Amino acid sequence: MRRVPAVVLFAIGALTCVGLDLAYDGLVSWDRGSKFWLHILVVCAINVLGATSLNVVNGMAGQFSIGHAGFVGIGAYLGGAIVSNLALALKIPVAALKDNLSLGQSFLLLPVALVVVGLVCAAIGFVVGLPSLRLRGDYLAIVTLGFSEIVRLTVLGISADSATNPLTRAIASLGGSLGYRGPKVGEDYLGVPSVAGPFWTVGIAALAVFLALRLKRSGFGRALRAVREDEIAAAAVGVDPAKYKVTAFVLAAAGAGVAGALLAVQRDGPGIVGPANMKFDKSFEVITMVILGGSGSVSGAAIGAVLYTVIFYASEEALHQLAQAVPAFGSVDAAALRMTLFATALIVVMLVRTQGLFGERELFEKKADDGTPKPPSPSSDDATGTAKEALAS
Amino acid sequence: MSDDLLVLDHVEKRFGGLKAVSDVGFRVPRGSIFGLIGPNGAGKTTVFNLITGVYRADVGTIRLRSAAEGGREQELVGKAPSAIAAAGVARTFQNIRLFASMTVIENVLVAGELHRRAGLIGEVWRTKHAREDEHAVRARARKLLASMGLADVEEAPATSLPYGSQRRLEIARALMLEPKLLLLDEPAAGLNYGEAESLKAQIRALRDEYALTVVLVEHNMQVVMGVCERIHVLDHGITIAEGTPSEVRANPKVIAAYLGEEPTSEGEGEAGGESETAARPEAKAP
Amino acid sequence: MIAWLLNALAQGAMIALVALGYTMVYGVLRLINFAHSEVLMMSAYASVIAQTRLFAGFGRAGMVLSTLVAIVVAVALGVTIEMVAYRPLRARAKGASARVAPLVTAISVSVLLQSVAQLAFTATPRNLDRALAPPMWSVIVIAALVMVGLHALVNLTWIGKAMRAVAVNAEAARLMGIHPSRVIVFTFAVGSGLAAIGAVLYAGTQAPIEPTMGTAIGNLAFVAAVVGGIGSVQGAMLGGVLIGLLGEIVKRTSFSGMKDAIVFALLVVVLLVKPAGLLGQARAEKV
Repeated sequence: MRRVPAVVLFAIGALTCVGLDLAYDGLVSWDRGSKFWLHILVVCAINVLGATSLNVVNGMAGQFSIGHAGFVGIGAYLGGAIVSNLALALKIPVAALKDNLSLGQSFLLLPVALVVVGLVCAAIGFVVGLPSLRLRGDYLAIVTLGFSEIVRLTVLGISADSATNPLTRAIASLGGSLGYRGPKVGEDYLGVPSVAGPFWTVGIAALAVFLALRLKRSGFGRALRAVREDEIAAAAVGVDPAKYKVTAFVLAAAGAGVAGALLAVQRDGPGIVGPANMKFDKSFEVITMVILGGSGSVSGAAIGAVLYTVIFYASEEALHQLAQAVPAFGSVDAAALRMTLFATALIVVMLVRTQGLFGERELFEKKADDGTPKPPSPSSDDATGTAKEALAS
Repeated sequence: MSDDLLVLDHVEKRFGGLKAVSDVGFRVPRGSIFGLIGPNGAGKTTVFNLITGVYRADVGTIRLRSAAEGGREQELVGKAPSAIAAAGVARTFQNIRLFASMTVIENVLVAGELHRRAGLIGEVWRTKHAREDEHAVRARARKLLASMGLADVEEAPATSLPYGSQRRLEIARALMLEPKLLLLDEPAAGLNYGEAESLKAQIRALRDEYALTVVLVEHNMQVVMGVCERIHVLDHGITIAEGTPSEVRANPKVIAAYLGEEPTSEGEGEAGGESETAARPEAKAP
Repeated sequence: MIAWLLNALAQGAMIALVALGYTMVYGVLRLINFAHSEVLMMSAYASVIAQTRLFAGFGRAGMVLSTLVAIVVAVALGVTIEMVAYRPLRARAKGASARVAPLVTAISVSVLLQSVAQLAFTATPRNLDRALAPPMWSVIVIAALVMVGLHALVNLTWIGKAMRAVAVNAEAARLMGIHPSRVIVFTFAVGSGLAAIGAVLYAGTQAPIEPTMGTAIGNLAFVAAVVGGIGSVQGAMLGGVLIGLLGEIVKRTSFSGMKDAIVFALLVVVLLVKPAGLLGQARAEKV
């Protein structure tokens, strides 16, 4: 097996990401139009991270979570709050914070923010994962949905005038239905700074895919699949299902949190974190990416995420063009149209090809029973297969 | 005092109002092959589930004794199934439970998870420890599969194997745990006379090679009488007899229990006409 | 105080009507029919369209006719979902995907219907003519009558027995000459019809009709079904009343903004402490 030392791999990856990051600014100043494409790249990367992390729980561990957006949302609020407050504490001028920050400045803010977000979300993932010890299937799914809805409704439900203690005041400072726009500077809100360019987004997404692949191929990943297939049999050979399931939740939550933080502080970002980030629709989007690509397949989920993002923007653009030609299309709800499209796609996938595009296989990976000795008692299919191969060679 | 590996004492299990097992107790001598028999619904598999922690006994104790004289005793009641497996108790299942989407060797490798030193981070980072572990575990799995006659199908999907091979794969997976005690739940189900004969030899060979103690739940009297050194008989969750095969065979209570259920099922060479064994799950085609 | 209690009971009765659909389908299929809330929403649209376009001048009688239209639409939609999306899965589901595929499909159907409503009816809320709204006491009476009828249906009729038989063991029921697929279709039809009645009562008394109304009411109803013990008809009724009361109590405290969050928190707690709910039965896996 060919092996590239991990250090070399990382160095190449890091340099590529730095290059991408610098190219982003260069391209944008050279041609404003390229901003659109670079923005898609950044969103793609964030979605890959979200899908890769959900895949650990839904695909590898077989615990169906439909509350991923809850973790993404917590990560977004927390990441936005840390980055904006830290930026003020480091005395980065307010005027600079209104614009994209440089790669150098991002190193002051993001490492701290991402580590804190990852750890906090991992801890919450641990708590949300605990019910998986008692509940299965749709019951567990409901608990995860309940979790994300509780988080969202709490942010929405506590307003500044009903806040009485430090905790509710902190939640109220997240802006309720208006969204979080950073701390107040003078009369105005600062806005959540735009910090994370391709270096961070693409870099972390690539790292996550790499780690997820390694996880899947490790003994841990094998045991996780065993737990998914049959908990009782797994426990009978010494694999503690509780430990593996909860670990899967922790890893997925940390990944989702980081994805959320990057979403909040992405370059040319919205400057605002809204509670809509935690709506069930968002969880459904990530589920769509994972299932279209193939639950359990790391590259499948990543490709699902890229496909989803591309279709997202392509449909948006197509509708925009269409509306210019036929004014009647101007009133069409693009989000609803998209959801119609993806929901239909998922239903069809479930009916026609339940395992998604890749099944559990990875890109460039052969089928499990290809190229290996066949059982000694081959079925007639195998026999004709070998005969054909013999003829062909 | 005899050297017993497993001691059950006054074990009782209720499901709702129903007593599946009441006041069952027996001692399994270290290194022996021990039979647990009884008509359908006698509670044999329930006893296995109690020993392995799938169910928790309502009353009574289940202890595992270490080899040393006056050695440590471990109470199994209340422990999680995975902890009981880690303590050295491995089992097979009456209705085979393999990891369906995984290959033959992967099924065995899962059971090697306990013997790894590297943690999650070490494994993902592929430290030296982790690679050595994987190498050692793989080598052991290969050896076990070879000894079970499954070397040729290592990379085949586990559920594509014929029924008999699936049973052997389950045993290989159980042995991967390096257990002290092996519980076999109806290993002869669905075997013909010749296959059952070779199973007998295989069970003895396993016991000798891996220094095991074996407990067998079985309906096939040919196997039970031929291989077990002691036999414990249950009926309706209650102990009705225990002894050597010839003692048990001569015991009027045992004869009555079997006769009461199925007049023609008594004696050697018959599977007992049990409907459990008749409902043989079909091996899925590859 | 009596008016308050009456209102709370009416809320509970409407929630219970919707909860019954979740619990009946779960009873026979072990499937949480996420699309149920969207059937409710669609039937509400059917009623408002029928009322404004067809029976505008008919007064209360028009309201009754519109309700009938809503029921027909709901039954047709519920049965279609079962036959097009769910049934083909049952025929070919196996392995680990057998557990996940129905869940994914149910969620997708729900999202699909909601998005279609968004496209067809836009997000602008519509309202049933409030002048024709039934008084609160009649909501309770209607709901009570429907539930007594359902109770009789499940316990006294042949089809009710067949439903219970399929719920216990579909394979055994088939051997006894019951067609499980017909029973399942019937279950979807009854559940959807009940949802339509709930939808009209809801829309008539308080809620604007909009694409997201299904989720809002459906969530409450679903929690009611789980709290009462999903799969249990009496459980759904009990759960509905409890959730209705809880909602009205929370409204009177300073946490009124947190009403839905509290309902979800209750759901999580019940699932963790007593997953089978108040009146449901736990099932153990056979080893």
